[in-house]
This record gives sequence, structure tokens and C-alpha cells, in this order.
Amino acid sequence: MAELKVDFGKFQLKNPVMTASGTFGYGLEYSQFYDISRLGAVVVKGIRSVPSDGNPTPRVAEVTGGMLNAIGLQGPGVEKFLHDEHYLPGVKKTGAAVIVNIWGKTAEEYAEVAARLEAEAKADITALEINISCPNVKAGGAAFGTDPKLAEQVISAVRNATTLPLITKLSPNVTSIAEFARIAEACGSDAVSLINTLSAMVIDIETRRTKLANRTGGLSGPAVKPVAIRMVNEVYKAVKLPIIGMGGICNGADAVEFMIAGATAVAVGTANFVDPFAPLAVIDFINDYCDRHGMKSVSELTGSLLN
Amino acid sequence: MATCKIISNSRMHGDYFRAVFDAPEIAPTSNPGQFVHIRIDNRLDTMLRRPFSIHNAENGRLTIVYKVVGKGTSALAGLPEGTLCDIIGPCGKGFSRPADDVIPVAVCGGYGAAATFMLTRQSKNGGVLLLGARSEKDLLLTGEYAQAGFQVKIATDDGSAGIKGRVTDLFPELLEEYKGKKLFFYGCGPHPMLMALARLLREKALDGELSVDHIMCCGVGACFGCVVKVNDHAHPGEWMYARSCADGPVFKLADIYTE
Repeated sequence: MAELKVDFGKFQLKNPVMTASGTFGYGLEYSQFYDISRLGAVVVKGIRSVPSDGNPTPRVAEVTGGMLNAIGLQGPGVEKFLHDEHYLPGVKKTGAAVIVNIWGKTAEEYAEVAARLEAEAKADITALEINISCPNVKAGGAAFGTDPKLAEQVISAVRNATTLPLITKLSPNVTSIAEFARIAEACGSDAVSLINTLSAMVIDIETRRTKLANRTGGLSGPAVKPVAIRMVNEVYKAVKLPIIGMGGICNGADAVEFMIAGATAVAVGTANFVDPFAPLAVIDFINDYCDRHGMKSVSELTGSLLN
Repeated sequence: MATCKIISNSRMHGDYFRAVFDAPEIAPTSNPGQFVHIRIDNRLDTMLRRPFSIHNAENGRLTIVYKVVGKGTSALAGLPEGTLCDIIGPCGKGFSRPADDVIPVAVCGGYGAAATFMLTRQSKNGGVLLLGARSEKDLLLTGEYAQAGFQVKIATDDGSAGIKGRVTDLFPELLEEYKGKKLFFYGCGPHPMLMALARLLREKALDGELSVDHIMCCGVGACFGCVVKVNDHAHPGEWMYARSCADGPVFKLADIYTE
């Protein structure tokens, strides 16, 4: 039995396996299957200052090795998230560590959401994940995560608004993801998570229309994993910040690969839709892997790539 | 979630199939209008689960009726007896049990008739199936409904069976025949049909519940992929998105938003 605890400096997790924002609802949707406090952390769907409708439908389309989504960050808004039993109060009762993904249409809005979460629920929140990478909303997503100046503005504004640990979720839709990781580090982010989905398009050849109403969407699932591994390794070499690696993790072997590339922890996303129990299988596999390789702690895996 | 063995999986006619699963964990709690979310195989192009209305659930067995429309359903149609399938269910909110004093009327389009079938067992007063389809070869389950004590009325687009027209064109005859009786409507079928039905029910001051869904992904309310527009009662005249997998697929007529 290896030590599975992982240390992010400002916060610790009981194990390195969390859920990817947007794939796990607000946590309770999956607590019908198992005790979600067994996870390292539950990363909830993006929260902004006010409720948001998200994009028109169809919002999802299956492709070989994955799927496209263009949900567009539908959500209840911070007020309801803080006080409605379906959201934070309900999830806290499960005992799960909660990481709140936040977004806004302006840097000020990101800061406002962060400040409000700290003021009203500091003790209930392990960390905030700053979403500057949703490919499906312009302001609040892609624009902030692909423009270095805007990224800096948003991360700095959130940093000034809260003492909560900050994770910046990076977009893969850039020429150099390492550049954005460096910005996150310089602006006071405590960790980075990557990758968000890859901007993509799928067309129905019979109707000659895009399958998503939003035309483009974010590609996720096993198809993106090699891209994500490469990016995690790039970021690992570029910054000292701990990394949460994600992108197509379907099983424990995938997760171990991310950790070898440089991730301190991992997140399971699309695989939840296929097998709700996937994150638990990943935890078990990592433990067995460490035992098999004589590692006393899972942290020995991080960045253990030999070439 | 349960691993369920396929007891039978065979063609009814045309592209329509019926699969029966041994599902003692799922069948006993299944209600009409609910669905099961099935992992069909491990192939990379049909990775995601597929949702199917529960057609029947009794004696620990679960039946679905489906049409082969794409990769997922054709893979399902190829699964032999004895195959083990990973099934989540029963999922979603189903139809409410027909009240003791009403005659339930199922208004269905095509294989939508699968979703309302279990109402035949819950009704104390028989009932009616209004079934619309493209043509005679797209009709299904009419014999089962009749055997279960439901009167069956049919409309086809091409007039090859029943009246020529839409399922809503059966209403004048229905309302005349059941004048003075308390009817309650249960709808399941393609989206345009359901919207037409919702408008008609409102116009005639009738009540009911409709199963409205959209392309699903997680099936448990987590991904917000399958949302449909429902009335936002806090802001009359406005709509909001509800998850068809978790808040639905069955919604009360009062919640159905028609543009």
C-alpha cells in the first residue's frame, strides 16, 4: 500500500485522482454510484456570478475515440451554488474535497466570484480552478486562455481577490502552452491543470451541417491523450508549479502515464460518461502500480520520465 | 449500474428490434417513461452509452424496443444472446401513475410507443393508444397494446394504415368517442410531433405529460448535453434549459415550452 497523498503546497489531497470540471456535474450526480469522498477531489462544473443558459442544442457529438461538446458553461450562478442543496451544501455533506471551477465574462467577474466563494464558503472549498480555457464561450473562455495579456489580467485579478489556493486551467489551443503556464506561475497561481478540450468540428455529410449547433466544440476522450501527455511534459519542464494532468484518461495506466510525464495529480473526464466507476479504478491501479514498482509514495511517479 | 445478460435480441420487422435483458437489479424499480443507459461495446466509435426507453419490466426482466439508426444501434442489434451488457438504470423521471378516475391516452410517434407501454398495466380503466408513423411498416406494438386492453387508433403519413395524416389528426374522433370522460395524455415521439401535441392539448384545455429528450451523453445529469427548453415559471413567457436525462425525460404539460 503506497502513500497516495499528494501535496500541492497550499493544499493536500488524499489521493491524486480527481474529476475534470464539466464531466462530473456538481458531484451529487455520481454519488448515487459510490462515495465520492473517496476521490482526491471533486472538481465541479464552472460557476460564474449569475446563472447562465449555455449554448443551443445539439451540444454533444460522438467521434472516433472521443466526443465533442459545446455545452457553453450552463450553470446556476454563484448564489445558488453556495446555498442550494443540489450544489455546494449537498456536496459538502458527502465529505468530498471540493474544487470550484470559476469563470466570468470579464476579469472583474472572475475576481467577484472568487471573493464571494472565499467570503461565504472558505472552509468548504479546497481550491479554485480558474477556467480560462473553455473553447465554447468567447468571453470567459477561449479569449482569456489564448491571449497572454488577458490571461495575466484574469489570473492576477483572481489572485488579488482571494487567499484560496488557485489552479489555472490551461487551453491546448495555443502555440505554446508552456508560455501560459509561466504566466500562471508569475501571477501567483498555485498549480496548473491541463488540458482543456481541443477546439474541433464535426460535420454531418448528409445534411452538410455541423453536428453541433455551436458549429465548433471541444474534443475530449482517448483521442486527445497523446497531445495532453506532450503538453504536460512541456509544462513540467517550464514551471515549478504542480500540474493536474488530464485529457482522455480512461484507466489507471493512462493516469500513470500523465504522472510520469510530470503531473502531480490527474483528472478523469469523459471516461465518467462511459464508466461512472472509472476514477475509483484509476486510484486502485495507481496504488498497485506503485507497489509493483517499489514506490513508497505516489509522488515518486511525478516527472519520473527517464528520457 | 448492473451487468445484465441478453436473454434475446431479435428483429421484430424492418429495422425494429426487441432486446430482453436479465436485469433483477433494474427491472423491479422501473417505471413507464424511464430509460436505461446501455454501454454497447468497447469500440472507439461507439464508446458512449446509448439511452433506451424501458418498454417493459417484469419478473426481473427488462425489455427495450429500438430502431437501428446508427453505429450504436447497429452494434446493439449484432449482440448475441448471452452477451453481458453494462446498464445504468432505471434513469430519469418517468410518467406519473394514471389516476384512478382517468382514462390514459398514449399519444406516440413510431417507436415512441415503447415508452408508454407499461402504463397499460398501471391503468384501472383501460386506455387508448394513438399511434402515428410514416407508414404501416413503421407501426409497432399495436398488438401488445390491444392485448393489454388499450384501444388502438392509427394515423400514417402515407395512409397505408389507419387514417392518412398526423397522430394529432386522430383527436376529433377520440374526443367525440370519449365525450364526458376524463382523459389524461402521455406523449412520446419525435420533437415536432410532441410540440404539436403540446399545443393541441393546451388549445383543448387537456392535460398530460410528455417525454422530451435530446442527444444524451452521461445520462445522469452531469454533463448538461441533453438539455431541452422548459417554461421558466419564475419568469412567465421565458424558457430555461432542463436536463432531459435527470429533470426529464418526462415533463408535465405545464412545463413544456413551445416556441
